Amino acid sequence: MSFDKNDEFYVGYLSEAPAGVAGLIKKVVIALLALAAFIAVLLVVNQSPFYPSLFEFGTYRSFEGVIQEKPYPTLLVKRPGEAGKLPGFSQYYLVSFGKFGAAEAVKGLDGQQVTLEGSLIYRDQQTMIEIVDGSISQVERSNGAAGLSVEGEGQKLGNFTLTGEIVDSKCFLGVMNPGNLKPHKSCAIRCISGGIPPVFAVQDKNGMTNYFLLLSADGQSVNQDVLKLIAEPVKISGDVYQYGNLLVLRADPEKYELM
Amino acid sequence: MSVNYQAVLWNRQKKIYDRVLAAGVLLYLIIFIVFGAIVHPNATAEILMIRGFGTASLLLLHIILSIGPLCRINTRFLPLLYNRRHLGVTMFILALAHGILSTIQFHVLGNTNPFVSIFTSNQDYTSLSNFPFQPLGLFALGILFLMAATSHDFWLANLTPPVWKALHMLVYVAYALIVLHVVLGVLQAETQPLLVILLAAGMVWIFALHLVAANKEKPADMQVAELQAEGYTEVCGVDEIANNRGKIVLLAGERVAVFRYDDKISVISNVCQHQNGPLGEGKIIDGLVTCPWHGFQYRPQDGASPAPFTEKIPTFNVKVIDGRVWVDPRPNLPGTPVEPARIGS
Repeated sequence: MSFDKNDEFYVGYLSEAPAGVAGLIKKVVIALLALAAFIAVLLVVNQSPFYPSLFEFGTYRSFEGVIQEKPYPTLLVKRPGEAGKLPGFSQYYLVSFGKFGAAEAVKGLDGQQVTLEGSLIYRDQQTMIEIVDGSISQVERSNGAAGLSVEGEGQKLGNFTLTGEIVDSKCFLGVMNPGNLKPHKSCAIRCISGGIPPVFAVQDKNGMTNYFLLLSADGQSVNQDVLKLIAEPVKISGDVYQYGNLLVLRADPEKYELM
Repeated sequence: MSVNYQAVLWNRQKKIYDRVLAAGVLLYLIIFIVFGAIVHPNATAEILMIRGFGTASLLLLHIILSIGPLCRINTRFLPLLYNRRHLGVTMFILALAHGILSTIQFHVLGNTNPFVSIFTSNQDYTSLSNFPFQPLGLFALGILFLMAATSHDFWLANLTPPVWKALHMLVYVAYALIVLHVVLGVLQAETQPLLVILLAAGMVWIFALHLVAANKEKPADMQVAELQAEGYTEVCGVDEIANNRGKIVLLAGERVAVFRYDDKISVISNVCQHQNGPLGEGKIIDGLVTCPWHGFQYRPQDGASPAPFTEKIPTFNVKVIDGRVWVDPRPNLPGTPVEPARIGS
């Protein structure tokens, strides 16, 4: 740096900066503050849209229904009123606190009527309950619970080839938003490896998301088999079953194709 | 002057600097998080905070990296440099908040230790688009931590300036890691082109600014290289010498006197021919170096006493580059005329 002796010279420990230097710095600082505000606004309005979903964090509700252990823990809750063509029950995924499925929490309770407390997680028509640890109580099966079961493998709807993204259902349905794609990949791997049901999210031509619970061709869990394909565009050909409220896609995970 | 560090009190300029910094950071975060929550009611608060802290940190890093070259281009930007270390520490705190929130969000409460999970959840290290971007951010945060932790003058004094400077030059490595962290992370998911445009604009700005500053200094750098090749030695700064006064410096084991007068610099032997008086402690009176002991006088340009006197002392070739005085340590014969160095040159 060179200083002409006639130039203003800034010394930080003096109380006043030279007038010319101070004037320039004021303009620079104002420009920087304006730039920061402008960039913040730009970034806010230019983020990709956040799809409506909700996790009722800290809000605990009581539920009563019948536990279905397989293929993933769900709670069947009788619908109020006439169900029409719909099943006579709502089917809620059950998961535990954190990045864990509820297999341990509901072990041995298959087909049993229980009460439990938990927080709701929902997106579109998909609903999940994060169970409050230790809140499940077995109760006497009531008459109203009759018919609260999904028998066998469900109803086969046909063979389809679908393209979409493997997501962890807990985050995608509302615990995180967004709960998919590359930034969320590590979390989804943790969740699915911890037993959270893996779901195949497929967007139709109208931009609506369809949800397919992933199972192997013989109806087993595929959690440990899909970890390398999470948050990637994937093509899967397999049999689709209607299992209660849920659509299930059964295919050999070795035949999943990375797009 | 001292080689020891001293605590600088919280002076007025620093207070102003820090208040403006705090106001800027708050302004950005409030807009990003509060306005963001209004525009995007479905976004979770954690995501808005993670993005807000991350982008605020990256924006601040661009400002930090701009200050150095700006000051080299124009010294009137120097007030921005004065408390830059507080910018750095603030930037680190914002990055740390981003890192902690992200780790809690994506890795805590799982079946693996969160820090292990950062490195092992996504193991696709051979892929480009799918490369694990979070470890890159963690490495960058580690560098920023080292820099923030050693920002105090205590560390400058104890690590020695060359080591300290080398450590703090790692900010460019951190910047590269952060750019990769963003490109391989959020940009793989976001479809809005503006994010790519903003990041690219920031990189071009930083690169161009450094290029302009380097080009401005290039002539001086080349001159310095040439002088070093010719054997010249840098002895002091022009601003260390009062007008019409001298400064004594040690050159190749000998004391020489550097004089400043009429916007010029001349260098002569420090030893008066009369009784070995220290000429460098003298003063230029009527254009002549005047010995402090007995008033013997010499012309600074050639080391010769004015007629009718006949004393002569050795002179030295001298140049001024970028405010620094460079002297050829090989003395000229007593009375040899030497072109004075122009201070403005």
